[in-house]
Amino acid sequence: MSAHHPEPSRRAFLGGSLLFVAGAAVGCSTDPTGGSAGGRTTLDVWFHAYGEAGTQQAATRYAESFTKANPDIAVKVTWVPGDYTGKLNATLLTSAAPDVFEIGDFNVGLARRGQIAALDDVYGSDKADFGAGDLDYVTVDGKLYGIKTLDDVMMLYYRKSVLAKAGITPPTTFDGLAAAAKALSSKAAKGLFVGNDGLGDSALLAVRSNGGDLVTDGRVAFASPQAVEAVAGLRRLHDDQSLLLGFTTDWWDPSAFTQGVVPMQWCGLWAMPAVTAALGEDFGVLPWPAFKAGGSPVLRVGGWTSCVNAKGKHVDAAKKFVRWLWVEQTALQKDWSESYGFHIPPRTSVAAGADKLTRGAAKESVELAAKYGRNNPNTWDSAVAAAFNAAAAKIVAGQGDPARLLADAAAQAQADVDKQRA
Amino acid sequence: MTTAPTVRRRTDPRAWAAFALLTAPMLIGLGVFKYVAILWSFLLSLSDAHGTIALGHWVGLDNYRRLLGDPAFRTSLGQILLFTAGIVPVTFAVSLGLALLVHRVRRGRAVVRTAFLVPTAVSYVAASLLWKMCLFNGLPAGVANLVGGWFGMSPVPWLQTTDPPLYWIVLVSLRLWLQVGFYLVLFLAGLQNIPRDVYEAAALDGATGLRLLRRITLPLLRGTSVAVLMLQFIAAFQAFDEFYNLFNSGLSGTATAPVQPPLVYLYTTAMGAQDYGLGSAGAFVLTALIVGVTLVQGRVTGFGRADG
Amino acid sequence: MNRLRSLTRGLTVGLLTALFLAPFYLVLRGALMDSRSLTSPHWAWWPSTTHWENFTALFTDPALHFGQALANSLLIAGITAPVSTLLASAAGYAFARIPVPGRGVLLTLVVATLMIPGSVTFVPTFVVVGSLGGVNTLWGIIAPGLFNPFAVLLFRNFYLRLPAELEEAGRLDGLGRLGLYRRIALPSSGSMLASLGALAFIDSWNAFLWPLVIGQDPSAWTAQIALSTFLTAQTINLPGLFAGAVVTIAPLVAMFLIAQRYIVEGITGSGLKG
Repeated sequence: MSAHHPEPSRRAFLGGSLLFVAGAAVGCSTDPTGGSAGGRTTLDVWFHAYGEAGTQQAATRYAESFTKANPDIAVKVTWVPGDYTGKLNATLLTSAAPDVFEIGDFNVGLARRGQIAALDDVYGSDKADFGAGDLDYVTVDGKLYGIKTLDDVMMLYYRKSVLAKAGITPPTTFDGLAAAAKALSSKAAKGLFVGNDGLGDSALLAVRSNGGDLVTDGRVAFASPQAVEAVAGLRRLHDDQSLLLGFTTDWWDPSAFTQGVVPMQWCGLWAMPAVTAALGEDFGVLPWPAFKAGGSPVLRVGGWTSCVNAKGKHVDAAKKFVRWLWVEQTALQKDWSESYGFHIPPRTSVAAGADKLTRGAAKESVELAAKYGRNNPNTWDSAVAAAFNAAAAKIVAGQGDPARLLADAAAQAQADVDKQRA
Repeated sequence: MTTAPTVRRRTDPRAWAAFALLTAPMLIGLGVFKYVAILWSFLLSLSDAHGTIALGHWVGLDNYRRLLGDPAFRTSLGQILLFTAGIVPVTFAVSLGLALLVHRVRRGRAVVRTAFLVPTAVSYVAASLLWKMCLFNGLPAGVANLVGGWFGMSPVPWLQTTDPPLYWIVLVSLRLWLQVGFYLVLFLAGLQNIPRDVYEAAALDGATGLRLLRRITLPLLRGTSVAVLMLQFIAAFQAFDEFYNLFNSGLSGTATAPVQPPLVYLYTTAMGAQDYGLGSAGAFVLTALIVGVTLVQGRVTGFGRADG
Repeated sequence: MNRLRSLTRGLTVGLLTALFLAPFYLVLRGALMDSRSLTSPHWAWWPSTTHWENFTALFTDPALHFGQALANSLLIAGITAPVSTLLASAAGYAFARIPVPGRGVLLTLVVATLMIPGSVTFVPTFVVVGSLGGVNTLWGIIAPGLFNPFAVLLFRNFYLRLPAELEEAGRLDGLGRLGLYRRIALPSSGSMLASLGALAFIDSWNAFLWPLVIGQDPSAWTAQIALSTFLTAQTINLPGLFAGAVVTIAPLVAMFLIAQRYIVEGITGSGLKG
């Protein structure tokens, strides 16, 4: 990035400022965005490290075109692998905090604490073009605090040929899933991969597949009887030893599935190009099946939200960048959503033109998402998720009473949710 | 030791200046990074510090109540005690055993000692990587599974198996590999300090093998043993690196890890959830625990006194 | 009988030595293989074609910041080792040889910090360093590690034993107190400086928790953080991971082999003289 836009030297900077002042004095129509005394603003923009090849180059390319359109604002893209939330949170406390960052678990607390800026003006009149779910997700006290940059759909991939060979039809109930996973497991191979910890998203899927909810109107709801029943039901997968554990990459990477290590894996729409490249047509997609009659199949809808650091030095420039990329540049949004991994563009008009999502399994996934897709609540931050998942991990390992564990976790999560909403 | 052999006279200002100059960096550094830090953090532990390290929102002992009421924290304390109770004797026994063995090696002792010592140069991160991805991964290609396969075992996910808790094997073997060399060197030095004639006298009395070990070697190694135990205890209680790196997988953090030592808990609390009040309270409870045990052990054994 | 016993002993030692060295072989093997043969259930003792490009790939992957991280680590350990050792030596000398009133109290204050376990107090240290603006800076990573009360004690004990005649001779030559320290005491403690410096270098190079807490921005990553990030990343390139491990391990192993005498002295010193 900065190699292409060398920082001006001190002298050039001073000279530039003088010219700028002179220009402003004669009524030149320069837009002094960013407020940094006439010099060039450099925005620090954070992305988590996407796994799909080409994404980092793409993000850098977008930033460069932005600077081309706005020569007074340089953009430094920082690509952060590993524990993104931890790294982001720690940095937000400091003066090195990024001006713009994406976040995977948008939460009310960020807005209430004044950490992120309201972006209503960034949406402007284009607000109507965003899906209602995506708007709700980032709405706190009637204001919009983020822009969804992509919607992710997470679903179950299965190998058609392997299931057919074993005489198994794609499972439509949890019983069916557990039985299929068991039948496809042997001493050396496993039938299903949901995550290296044996849990991944499966606990929250289980809750929803049995008509339960995670948080309802600020009340933590995952200790309900349906939730307890469904999470406890996951234990069967562990007792049957039909889960792949300890693979080298985790569930969001399709390697286990594409390398033929497992015939069924919970993964995301983003992985579909890689899956297609490896397996051709030999795969299908399914929702997480209903836990039992009366429950509902479920897919998880997630994705990333772009936020502006309200405590940053360049809030205006940051907003300008966010509007430029995630509202105005529909062509780039389309590129971001379908050229690397597959995602659903949050702008309805862009989604309509995303032709790669209109065919085959991708189309099927989008339709399933429209029917069964569920967002995590926007109070689901890392502390709440940690309490829930820790309890679920104990339950599936058979350590303690499920109802009690979830009730304790719910109490703990409630304290955190209350704090976020305070 | 005795006091400095310098003759005591009227302190001249130049002595003061020299003393100040030589000690100031150290005293200021320790003052800021230990004393100020501890005091500030203590005040933070009494306030609600969510996403901030500024003081002001006092909540009394609320953080301590929440901390001790959190089953995750209590479990982590239990688990670290279990870990300590396991790793300390094992490391002690293995390093002592190896030291006795190496001590008797006549040819190539230096080479052997180097082989055991070199792993102490490896970081916990690199070792975790190797243990997680190569030795103990869940695939049939993992080294442990491969070796198990020769004996007819089917591949197991070592880190994820909680019943029986196979992950302890991973954790303990990793720490052994990294630490044994260090304590081996200490024991070897202790053994070399035992005069040869003590053994000769005992041998004349007809003592051999185990008896010799129990009657002569172990008692004479008492000083070393106490030091080793102490260092091991403190090291075990501060375990973080390998737990974080073995169980953390990218976006999902360490919430579902089968073991979470207190420092990982503190890290998630302070750095993940940004609750610096609770994190500070946790740091205090842990420090108090370690200081308490150290004091008790120090009182009993005389280890760690100021003048050596 | 005796022969047999020494043979078994020799064999046991040989076997254990091999066991302790095996991980080094494994990491090198992994670093030179390709991804597919690493996860293949068929064991290969050595890659059929050695993939040296795994190492170059480390430095060309822009998401890893590996070159920068190595440079950071080198700088951090390169500053920490000499500075922390010198600071401790200076303070140790003053506490041992310059009698001023109040010295005892100050020494107690220094010793008291010994009881506070270093990494447990990362939250307090973060609070201070953070408020001084040290987050994501190299000085923020370095500063708290420069003050080692234990080394002060070791140096004090060493200088207490320094023969008075040495200093007397220096005094006759007209050296002041600082001169005595610099010209007489410091040079006499060369081997202490080397061994504690070597240990400090190793500790600093291998440190994880503190750099993780304070250096979140890629520009402040150390080699350990880069490696850990790599290990916990969303997608994993196994051979690259092993190559990264080799690169972070190699300098220290080399140093270990060269400076082993001092390291052993340092370990025995810090373990026994406490």
